Amino acid sequence: MKRENESQAYLTFALGAEKFAITVESVQEIVELDQVTKVPNAPEYMLGIINLRGKVLPLLDTRLKLGLPKTEITKKSRIMVLDIEAGDDKNVQIGALVDVAKEVIQLQPEEIQEAPDFENYKTQAPITGLVNNQGDITMIMDIARIFNTSEILHLEQSVI
Amino acid sequence: MDNNQKRFIADALDLLNDLDEGLMQLETNPKASAPLEQVFRTMHTIKGGANMFGFAPIGEMAHQLEALFDLVRQGKMQVTDALISVTLQAFDKVRDLLKEKEESKINNAAALKDHLNAAAELVVQHAQADAGMEAVGTTRKDELATYFIRVTPTVPVTGDGNHQLVFIMLDLEALGTAHTRAFQKENNEILHWHQFLATTTSPAEIESFFLFVDHECKYEVTRLSPGNILEDEAFLQCTTAFNENRISWQELMDAAGASAEKLKARETEELGIDDQNASVAKKKSVNDAIIKVSKRKIDDLLNWISELIILQAQLVNVSEASNNVALNGVSEQLEMITNRLRDTSLEIGLVPIETLVTKFKRLVRDLSKSLNKKVNFLSEGADTEMDKDVIEMMAEPMIHLIRNAIDHGIGLPGERKASGKSEYGTVKLKAFNSSTYVNIIISDDGKGIDKDAVLRKAIEKGLTSADAQLTDEEILNLIFHPGLSTAAKVSDVSGRGVGMDAVKQKIYELRGSISIKSEKGKGTSFHIKLPLSRSIIEGMLVSVAETRYVVPLNAIERIDRIPYEALDRQDKVNKTVVVNEQPLPVLSIRKQFHHEENPPKTTDIISVLVNGMRKGIAVDRIEGKMQTVLKPLGDAYQKQDFISGSTILGNGKLALVLDPSRLFSFNHM
Repeated sequence: MKRENESQAYLTFALGAEKFAITVESVQEIVELDQVTKVPNAPEYMLGIINLRGKVLPLLDTRLKLGLPKTEITKKSRIMVLDIEAGDDKNVQIGALVDVAKEVIQLQPEEIQEAPDFENYKTQAPITGLVNNQGDITMIMDIARIFNTSEILHLEQSVI
Repeated sequence: MDNNQKRFIADALDLLNDLDEGLMQLETNPKASAPLEQVFRTMHTIKGGANMFGFAPIGEMAHQLEALFDLVRQGKMQVTDALISVTLQAFDKVRDLLKEKEESKINNAAALKDHLNAAAELVVQHAQADAGMEAVGTTRKDELATYFIRVTPTVPVTGDGNHQLVFIMLDLEALGTAHTRAFQKENNEILHWHQFLATTTSPAEIESFFLFVDHECKYEVTRLSPGNILEDEAFLQCTTAFNENRISWQELMDAAGASAEKLKARETEELGIDDQNASVAKKKSVNDAIIKVSKRKIDDLLNWISELIILQAQLVNVSEASNNVALNGVSEQLEMITNRLRDTSLEIGLVPIETLVTKFKRLVRDLSKSLNKKVNFLSEGADTEMDKDVIEMMAEPMIHLIRNAIDHGIGLPGERKASGKSEYGTVKLKAFNSSTYVNIIISDDGKGIDKDAVLRKAIEKGLTSADAQLTDEEILNLIFHPGLSTAAKVSDVSGRGVGMDAVKQKIYELRGSISIKSEKGKGTSFHIKLPLSRSIIEGMLVSVAETRYVVPLNAIERIDRIPYEALDRQDKVNKTVVVNEQPLPVLSIRKQFHHEENPPKTTDIISVLVNGMRKGIAVDRIEGKMQTVLKPLGDAYQKQDFISGSTILGNGKLALVLDPSRLFSFNHM
């Protein structure tokens, strides 16, 4: 993540009552939830595959991946199409299901505070910072660290 | 490494292939000038490039060997087995180095040290041997004359094979101006060659080219006239007419006489034109219509076209639903153009399998030498085109098959003679297209597979029961089973690398198939069938509950419909079910992966052949055959490798493409 003296743009979204933000660079677009094709024998957080205008993307449940209860599908459910670096100059596209996709905000580096340890999130500290706007807390997430786990890295050879 | 260096490496790897080819030609025909020039030129190019782009050790290596071949060119040194071997091995090392990823590893001078020493050794040997000897030089003091050479092979030879005769014909061409025509049978075997050759080489010397192939062909060399009458257009027309049997031998001779007269008359007017330069220039211009395009660009193009195909299928759906005649018309037109675009663009990414053939020739040469066997390698259809990636992926399995053929199939010359065969064994590679498949047949005329031994071993290892009634085909297919090797002892050759099960696995990964035919004492032949494209698949669309699956058509043996309860008899996911009056282990996709309610009344059993065993996949319903674009599932699903990808249906929904053999191994069946 860049730590320059300029403001950066973040996309905010909600998982349950909590508000999160990720850098917009990794967000390609936001789409509504349509048809999901389930892939047998996959972990529960991997909801299946979706067809994004001819491109096949895996869809992940962001809440399950973070150790929260499964996402309830509502009219507000959205898919964030993310472009994640997977090493070797390779980028991986995935869809991440969230409860609500909110807005794009600009943040100055000094507005972001160090993140304390979060015991209730199972993933190893994907929260890199906090923004405290008069008690309204937004957690900044390192999106690559959540989804760029080992399963994303070595795939190419198994898919012909 | 910068782009220039990368480009040099790609070019150099191609050049090394050419070099191998040239060196092998030179080995069979040490006196030939065409391959010698080619080898020399290629080394020179490699040397220049390597030095320019900062690979000095490789440049040095090429320089040393180039110097050796320069001696040969000047007639001061002979082509020897040692020279060829040293050169081949040195460039093998260079090839290995060039495949390294880092510049520092490529420039590993220590790795080339032994080879440099070997080359230096040859120079020393040569200097000693040459001390008293005169330079040999090529003697070309005979008068210029035009000859007719007719060669009829008495053993099977194909134009693109590696039989010496093929190279001899090329070498003869290099002696002067030549017009060669090969008469072939339908299977590409050469009936005979007609060559018109204008040269200063004497007839005795021309005949000496055939010294070592005396027993494998009939040849006659006839002097037609003095001078190079091939310069005369009228005579050229006569040679064509003669080749096509339109004029008699006598008429040809008369024409030759007339042309010689004419030639003489003209020569007194203007003094000699050198025709040889013109023919060299002509040969060089053949390649000029080829451009190099990076693989990535082609892949991009194909990706876009795949998306176009999907979008186009959706358009058909929408327009049919709209009942708009004009829209339907446009959509049909678009469909036609899309299909053409798909076919054309698929062809762009295809390259001839020629590169593989060169590799195989080399393999056959090295292997037959080390095993003391005499092996003739014939290839047919080396211009058959395949996807570049597929060619690369198939190299290893095919090398394995050829290796097996030489190691196990073809016997030692003595053994072969005793069983009434020619001392020379034949390994044949035949490639051809049929509909959307590429066919490759690798055959040998060796001992054949001992079916009894295979069966005995399979029973011994518990792969099949002693009282099972297996057909010949089923027995032969057992060799693809992992853990079955019929070789009495594991030799250096066959023990290395992949086994037959890996060969089959690779071919299945490419969604191809392989079948064997073998007759004891007569030989073995493997028939590999591969889809032309890796991304376009032919499959059977089926449904299970709400999910659609595609089973690749190449795997399907038969389809039966049985009552769903037949799967229910035991409360197990997979079990044997009687289908078509035979017990069949069946895996139900519904029971295994879907727990939805309301099972259907009947279930369709798709029989597939996995490791030579027939197994069944139970699905709810067959929807129909389809041709579609395979899309990778994305990085998240590597653990579900029994699904090779997905495909987008006309209505925009996704279907999952199954990999049958992985499906069963995943479920331990």
